Amino acid sequence: MDSMPASLSPESPDSLLQHTKIYSPQPDTFDELVASDGSVRPHWQELLKGFEGLGVTQRHQAHETAARMLKDDGMTYLASQNGQQSDRPWQLDLFPLLISQEEWQHLEAGLIQRARLLNHILSDLYGPQQLLKNGTLPPAVVFGNPQFLQPCHGIPVAGGTYLHFLAFDVARAPDGNWWVLRDRTEAPTGAGFALENRIIVSRSLPDLFARTHVQRLSSFFQTFSESFLQFSQREDPLAVVLSPGPQNVTYFEHAYLSRYLGYPIVEGSDMTVRDNRLFLKTVDGLKPVDLVLRRVYSDLCDPLELTTESTTGVPGLLQAIRAGHVTMANALGSGLIESEVLLSFLPTLSKFFFGEGLKIPSVATWWCGQANERAYVLDNMDRLLIRRVLTPKRGLTHDRLSSFGPDLNEQDRGALTQAIGRRGHEYVGREIVSPSTTPFWTPDDELKPVPMTVRIYLTATKDGYTVMPGGLARVSVRSDPRGHWHEPGDFSKDTWVKWNGPLDIPAAVTLPHHTLQLRRGGRDLPSRTADNLFWLGRYAERAEGAIRLLRSLVSRMSGEAGIGDDPATLHRLVSLLVMQKHLSPRRAKRAVEGGAGAVEAELRTILFDPDSPDGLATILQNVRRTAELVRHRLSLDTWNILMELTSVPKDWAQTKGQSIDDAIRLLSRMIQHLAALNGMVMENMTRSYAWRFLEMGRRLERVRHLSKLIRHLASRGTPETTGALNLLLELADASITYRTRYKAEAKLAAVLDLLLADDTNPRSIIFQLLTVEAHINALPREETSAALNPAQRITTRGCTDIRLADMMQLAQFTTKTGVRVNLERLLKQLDQHVHQLSDVVAHTFFSHSLAQRISGPQWLEGVP
Amino acid sequence: MIYQVTHRTTFAYTQPVAISHHVLRLTPRSHPRQHCLRSNVMFDPTPSVRTEGEDYFGNPITHLTIQTPHPELIVEAKTLVDVMKPDPMYVDQSPPWDQVVQQLQRPLDSPNLEAQQFMYDSPYITIDDATYEFVRECFPPGRPLLAGAMDLTRRIYQEFTYEGGVTDVSTPVKDVLASRKGVCQDFAHLEIAALRSLGLPARYISGYLLTHPPEGQEKLVGADASHAWLSTWCPDLGWVDFDPTNNLIPGDEHITLAWGRDYGDVSPINGFMVGGGHHTLDVSVDVSPAPHPSLV
Repeated sequence: MDSMPASLSPESPDSLLQHTKIYSPQPDTFDELVASDGSVRPHWQELLKGFEGLGVTQRHQAHETAARMLKDDGMTYLASQNGQQSDRPWQLDLFPLLISQEEWQHLEAGLIQRARLLNHILSDLYGPQQLLKNGTLPPAVVFGNPQFLQPCHGIPVAGGTYLHFLAFDVARAPDGNWWVLRDRTEAPTGAGFALENRIIVSRSLPDLFARTHVQRLSSFFQTFSESFLQFSQREDPLAVVLSPGPQNVTYFEHAYLSRYLGYPIVEGSDMTVRDNRLFLKTVDGLKPVDLVLRRVYSDLCDPLELTTESTTGVPGLLQAIRAGHVTMANALGSGLIESEVLLSFLPTLSKFFFGEGLKIPSVATWWCGQANERAYVLDNMDRLLIRRVLTPKRGLTHDRLSSFGPDLNEQDRGALTQAIGRRGHEYVGREIVSPSTTPFWTPDDELKPVPMTVRIYLTATKDGYTVMPGGLARVSVRSDPRGHWHEPGDFSKDTWVKWNGPLDIPAAVTLPHHTLQLRRGGRDLPSRTADNLFWLGRYAERAEGAIRLLRSLVSRMSGEAGIGDDPATLHRLVSLLVMQKHLSPRRAKRAVEGGAGAVEAELRTILFDPDSPDGLATILQNVRRTAELVRHRLSLDTWNILMELTSVPKDWAQTKGQSIDDAIRLLSRMIQHLAALNGMVMENMTRSYAWRFLEMGRRLERVRHLSKLIRHLASRGTPETTGALNLLLELADASITYRTRYKAEAKLAAVLDLLLADDTNPRSIIFQLLTVEAHINALPREETSAALNPAQRITTRGCTDIRLADMMQLAQFTTKTGVRVNLERLLKQLDQHVHQLSDVVAHTFFSHSLAQRISGPQWLEGVP
Repeated sequence: MIYQVTHRTTFAYTQPVAISHHVLRLTPRSHPRQHCLRSNVMFDPTPSVRTEGEDYFGNPITHLTIQTPHPELIVEAKTLVDVMKPDPMYVDQSPPWDQVVQQLQRPLDSPNLEAQQFMYDSPYITIDDATYEFVRECFPPGRPLLAGAMDLTRRIYQEFTYEGGVTDVSTPVKDVLASRKGVCQDFAHLEIAALRSLGLPARYISGYLLTHPPEGQEKLVGADASHAWLSTWCPDLGWVDFDPTNNLIPGDEHITLAWGRDYGDVSPINGFMVGGGHHTLDVSVDVSPAPHPSLV
């Protein structure tokens, strides 16, 4: 690096030299930052100066901010490893990729031309097929392509727009020109990640971002949504994000887009087709859906007419589309155009449609379905990437799809040559690209040149295609960078387009719809979301019950109140653990025999072992899982409390001890989180249906837990003398109420009255039932029936049972064996009510959970 | 020959079905040797939505939605169809198969383009090397295409055992090839895969076959069933049918319902229901010669 521009002369001790001295790109590649003469390219100079000007502390802070944001936002993608799926954290390199405005405008023009071209091709192939008839495209390219979906042929597409939202993977060749590597037209992923990257990087390096004058991304999403909504004829259209569900690798992004665009996230079973119309199943009945942003492969969208085995689609969807009631983004079958077999035909097609060549070429690709091209590939196999591209998407791994020519041994080469000879149309040979390099900010605080590609997104508007000014840059820090996306060693980067003119800063963050309609209460609550909220309520309450119980037990094991080795007391404590299913009866017995030490050991496992299936970690895991499913319905604060609550045991295991004292502190901290959560729910959530389902779940779970505790601690023996009654009051959080009211030792009848029948005690069973009843009354119901609905009948019965019960009699009457049978019977009934109510609620409101089956093609016995 | 075909399908559910969608291909398509004179598909209960149309391959198709709870669904298709015998086929006079493969690679006329639809893998038919090895001996270089196809038809008939219940629609062709067992649908899939592995077009045909009761016995009503065979394309002659289950070139006793790339494209009834518990399916088919409607 001989010639250093004057503007970059070191100004602070943290000088440019420190970072770029060792920055030495390969001589035969193009580097984004440094020109071949070693000078820093002009459009980078300002940014680099700013970066160098950051002190060590600021750089450190930037990383901390980013790490915290990544964690808080729960930004992950699912990755498969050894057959197991797990969440992987998103890998982000904070140092941005910078592109100058002039260069960007060149890219923009080329990609817009390409998007228009692809849209033209699709509309021909799913329509008149002139390109096949006049011989411009060989039929194998279409008919041999599993992504050509025959049932979608001839379906009219609103405005002739097949591609509403698409992406291109681009890279820069050694000569500095851009290439397109891949077209992404089916359901391109990553735009949400690009946006999130931007938010994180701009907040982590705020000064750098401000001084670089970077074009904004958010108006792109606004443009997409405005344009998309206009495809509906209706005044106030309903758009949804259709996702395959939380098992999908990019579910995080689906949920993210859903939140950002304000479209509900739904799965296939959340919708139904009636009268050739698509509907969303909500707790308030069926709502017509007009627009679908699709994150599901085309062929999985309608099991009735496309892939029968699909469980992610909506049966009848194609008919609804044919009837013109639904617009899909992108149109079903758009994946056809993603195939690499088309790459070599695009220049001809561009001339055919536009009378001009491609503004940005594709990477050199030879399709082996043509004799000359096949011969070329076979002759040059050792310097090409060979890809099998016309093959059903599912069931084949990348390994079987791609062969790296230089790595092939004699045998593999022979097999591949034979396969290409027989089924050439399935293969392409592609030039091995050595993309440009760009700086990667290493953990050692250095900049290092690494190869990069960029995914750039486009959306259709009524005035043509618009490009997102930025994109998802991806760099590989592995030594051998020819693998695929989502591999360890790959990082994403924010792409900054350095703008000279005024920036598109959106006036408001909200998306304007056709007309603003004032709304109260989320009436479009999908029934699946209601279901998940209901279960979040139940799991959160279950966690609270478990945590309170454990805290009481742990505190009895220590300090002055220490219970020592008394087998009867130990037995009572341990049996509560059995009741809560933390311990099997066998292990419980062994622990009691082993004395206080053994019981303590069991408690420690339950509390601290993150892998114990019966432990606290599992209960919290359930809370977390359901919370993730309804994240789009929770405020950021509520979400953060939930995440803190559920990660307490994990964080604790890493940093703190496991003594009894530690356990009490751990449990108390979680109870505080739970209290904060309850406060959020009560004070900050609007009284929408969403809130009611969450609440109902909690209340029902509380009835279940409390009736179990009463049964366990008070339905037999002499709870007044053994201390069981005090424990019960403590667990029901009613000790103080009792003491202030009675100022005496606990008496069973009085305790039962307080816990069962006192409708002023917010923790009594009757209070829960009355609350549930109020929620049910507020939920939508069939207008026709005047009588009580089944859910109301159950709550009414439960309340009546309790009101009619004589507490004295419940407390006193025992059989010869000392069992309070009337009390037991009442509690058992209450438990049954909870079960029934849960079923009735599911049946009435969670219609997505109804069994569905497909009767697809099947062998009907033939005639021999 | 004119036939009256009655195809009755009954779905019985253990619990009422709340809503169901069906796609039916029960109306015989017309083609140069076949005219559908009359077709009537009846449903019980009456569907809320019923749409008649044509699918991508030109087969008549019915979409229906039933939105009232129903414990069973009866679909009855009654059709009157006229089938003509093909002209006598001199298989040895057809063009060499390898020449046809070459011809298909070159610029296209419209029948040629249509044939191209049926040359590649399809959802239920995957071509592999084993199939190619199997078919090769029937097609030495220069052999007339139809002679090779007839020989392949004969080999499947002779070397494979017709056995119900050992395969289903998801059984891959390579498994049928290995076990040498299956039903008419499997044999049709196998022969199609074999022809495609050579670069020849082949399409799947679903339909009915007139059956003859054993000598001296009366034919039972409803004892007929659906049948499947295939067709391959020959320049000048067009599509020629082959029936590997019966080792013959179909004449006027094979009634075509629909054709497509494989069974998935032509399945007579696909359905989707919400609720309903388990369901049982009862199918009865009756094919009987009928007088011409103008004579009735």
